[in-house]
Amino acid sequence: MEAILVDSVQNSLRHFMYRNAIFMCERLCAEFPSEVNLQLLAGCYLHNNQAYCAYHVLKGTQMPQSRYLFAISCFQMDLLKEAESALCSANEPGAEVPNGAAGHYLLGLIYRYTDRKRGAIHHFKQALSADPLLWAAYEELCALGSAEEAAAVFGEAAAVCIHKQYLPNGFSPQNSDMSSEDQNLNSARRSMDDVSPRQLKQMLGNNARDVAGSYHGTTASSRGSGQPLNGGSSQLSLYNTPSPVATQLSGAAPPPPCRNLQPNGPNLSTLGADSSPRSTVNSTIQAPRRKFVDEGKLRKISGRLFSDSGLRRSTRLAGEAATNATTIATSVAGNGASNSSKYLGSSKPSSVALRAVSIRKGHSWASENSDEGVRNEVTDDSRFNPTLANCSCPSGDNRTFDQDGASMPVAGPVLTSAKVLTGTAEVLGLLRLFGEAYRLSCMYRCQDALDIYSRLPHRHYNTGWVLSQVGKAYFELVDYMEADQAFNLARRTSPYSLEGMDIYSTVLYHLKEDMKLSYLAQELIATDRLAPQSWCAMGNCYSLQKDHETALKNFQRAVQQDSKFAYAHTLCGHEYVSLEDYENGIRCYQTALRVDARHYNAWYGLGMVYLRQEKFEFSEHHFHMAFEINPCSSVIMSYLGIALHALKRSEEALMMMERAILADRKNPLPMYQKANILMSLEMLDEALEVLEELKEYAPRESSVYALMGKIYKSQNMHAQAMLHFGLALDLKPSATDVATIKAEMEKLHIPDEIEDFL
Amino acid sequence: MATESSEGEEEGKITGGNLVLALDDDLREMGKKAVWSVSSCKTGNGVSSLRDDNLDTYWQSDGAQPHLVNVQFQKKVRLQMVALYVDFKLDESYTPSKISIRAGDGFHNLKEIKTVELVKPAGWIPISLSGNDPRETFVNTFMLQIAVLSNHLNGRDTHVRQIKVYGPRPNPFPHQPFQFTSTEFITYSCVR
Repeated sequence: MEAILVDSVQNSLRHFMYRNAIFMCERLCAEFPSEVNLQLLAGCYLHNNQAYCAYHVLKGTQMPQSRYLFAISCFQMDLLKEAESALCSANEPGAEVPNGAAGHYLLGLIYRYTDRKRGAIHHFKQALSADPLLWAAYEELCALGSAEEAAAVFGEAAAVCIHKQYLPNGFSPQNSDMSSEDQNLNSARRSMDDVSPRQLKQMLGNNARDVAGSYHGTTASSRGSGQPLNGGSSQLSLYNTPSPVATQLSGAAPPPPCRNLQPNGPNLSTLGADSSPRSTVNSTIQAPRRKFVDEGKLRKISGRLFSDSGLRRSTRLAGEAATNATTIATSVAGNGASNSSKYLGSSKPSSVALRAVSIRKGHSWASENSDEGVRNEVTDDSRFNPTLANCSCPSGDNRTFDQDGASMPVAGPVLTSAKVLTGTAEVLGLLRLFGEAYRLSCMYRCQDALDIYSRLPHRHYNTGWVLSQVGKAYFELVDYMEADQAFNLARRTSPYSLEGMDIYSTVLYHLKEDMKLSYLAQELIATDRLAPQSWCAMGNCYSLQKDHETALKNFQRAVQQDSKFAYAHTLCGHEYVSLEDYENGIRCYQTALRVDARHYNAWYGLGMVYLRQEKFEFSEHHFHMAFEINPCSSVIMSYLGIALHALKRSEEALMMMERAILADRKNPLPMYQKANILMSLEMLDEALEVLEELKEYAPRESSVYALMGKIYKSQNMHAQAMLHFGLALDLKPSATDVATIKAEMEKLHIPDEIEDFL
Repeated sequence: MATESSEGEEEGKITGGNLVLALDDDLREMGKKAVWSVSSCKTGNGVSSLRDDNLDTYWQSDGAQPHLVNVQFQKKVRLQMVALYVDFKLDESYTPSKISIRAGDGFHNLKEIKTVELVKPAGWIPISLSGNDPRETFVNTFMLQIAVLSNHLNGRDTHVRQIKVYGPRPNPFPHQPFQFTSTEFITYSCVR
């Protein structure tokens, strides 16, 4: 009956019939209360966006998979402390993080939102090394400003990792590379213990098909986490096997079954023979369920590139390589012992991946186990025992295949392994481009980022995500026309996507295109009323019409929708400042910075507030922080110069202006500010020179002529002064300026009149 | 109808009125930062009706002329224009006819800066506070007093439906000697 219920639940989940799934699952849990079923129930609740239900269901559970699901529910309910303690309890600092890469990613997010930047970086890096295709972790690292180069992250080590998932024995010539990749590997070392979700999934999938046997066997000898079942137990134990194994999987290194195999060397060999019958009986029932539940979670956590294909592939591989694994395993047996120590440090990633792959091999385990059992003694780190044990085997394999390079020593999977190789290379190549471009755009080296995006193949370039990133890069370069074009294309390609649309609304705000902006805002609200980007666009629309109060209301709505959306806070701050409510403005900017310390707009906003309040020291500090984050923005540089000038550090101010002028030739402002500074330093001739040059760039700017008029007046060149004041007035300045200029002109008249009288 | 005027102020007759108040872009309403009070009012038609953005509600005075509306700011502000909404067709004898605008530091030293005479107004009446001199475009003051000296048809009390006070927008970019007019300058002058 249990099997039927489970099947029904999974079927409902597959077809997105969540109410049915929840009901059936609740019956299942009532009838057969077990932690595994609770996990399934929690999974149903999470699918149905009822994190609070999942929270209560899973409270207090200990299995790694349960802890992971519990942590997800806590995270969605914003109970970050509980989520963190679920994932890595304080009592066991050395315990493994459930679900490997996914767990590390979640931990990283928790650390990030609780302001522990280094911890967050550490966990994201681990997640990445466990699963090199965990793009979201790389994104977070870039956002935190501490991502390594994409070529390193999505490079050899990643390729090895992925290979291992698909091919039981490392055939690629990783050994030589591995030493060079030592750095990556060492960092990956610890994370290798974590299962990459994909590997986990695949393994689970495979388990469903063939591994079950060894699976069951291993559970008995598993690391001690989960229920220690002994092979040969009744149906019940078999039934339970997948779950403990699964939990093993989640908690342990990539190939949980593999890991289980390790310590169980001797056990496995005994069980190996029995594996096949068992697998057919139980795996089909248990594995699919676990696979589905985990798949759902994993899909949610990280974009899966290989989810489906991988599964199929792994099954195919498992089937084909079953026989091969045996031969390979035995062949390296001899090498194993001697090699293992050498590869302890460097080959962890490969070994881990290999382990994962080998798990799928099902039958091959039996023979390998004995080898691995031998290898066990070589390893000294008990925690990494399984890994290392596995390592020794794979490393041995790697060795033998070193010369072969891409070719598999075994005849069977040659085709598939080649495919895996090319597939991996393609994926990683693509990710390298994306990663590098994204990293550069987070470092605000926008021109470089744009170059890299342009190297993407067209079919990728013409997607909403890439186009909006390109738009964002142009926006940072203050090239609003190009940004407008890019965002326009992005809207046409994926009209439903809201990513980056808040930046698009700011671009339109800068370009003063109120019609386009209001159209965009209406469209976004119609698409999704609950997204912060829509409300940001609406707010920008009102702000453009100078209705700051309504704009503020809209931005506050955006903040309500998602309080972790830093830009909404910054925009609130801008509106408060326009309303001259500086206290609230400062508060908003600081909230934005709490969410994202690298949000240079908020630093800039704070600098502006302090500039207005004449607290020049503070102002300079904040502009400096903004400048450090985004060293390419000429606007920030010119404001930094203004603050320095206000602090009477005029040489530095002038240098900063020079840099700003060089940084962006099209920006007329630094030149104007430079002239201003020169004028206050009484270097009037230089100031005039600069302004003459500026006239070429911006011939219709009244303030330029007004300033020139002022300078001529102070040099007593009245005719020139009058001429320029007249020109300034012609260009329709604001009422205040009209008053000022006319007043200046009046003062000019008097000396002339006196001369007339004389 | 002797009008007291200080040098540079003029008396003007204003007819008609606008249904919609057309504003320059560089003006902004300053009334929110001020304390508003009136010399007298009928219950239910108090000073809040002057500031509620509702043209159906009005302030009705309830005492001797001149009826006064006082606008007091916490710090000296530059004001450029006052706009009143009055309607002869609706209010007839309650419609103000002569209005005097005074400015100063407080009740003790108000000085008249503008007088206007309205003839059957209907709609928004903008009253500019600027003098002839370009240096006198703005009135820099702590307090403004709008006095209704007489009504149409010699009515005793007055109805005023809305009053708005405008001043110049400050330079959005601090520490600049002049404001920017061209799009290139404005685009590059801020980070949003």
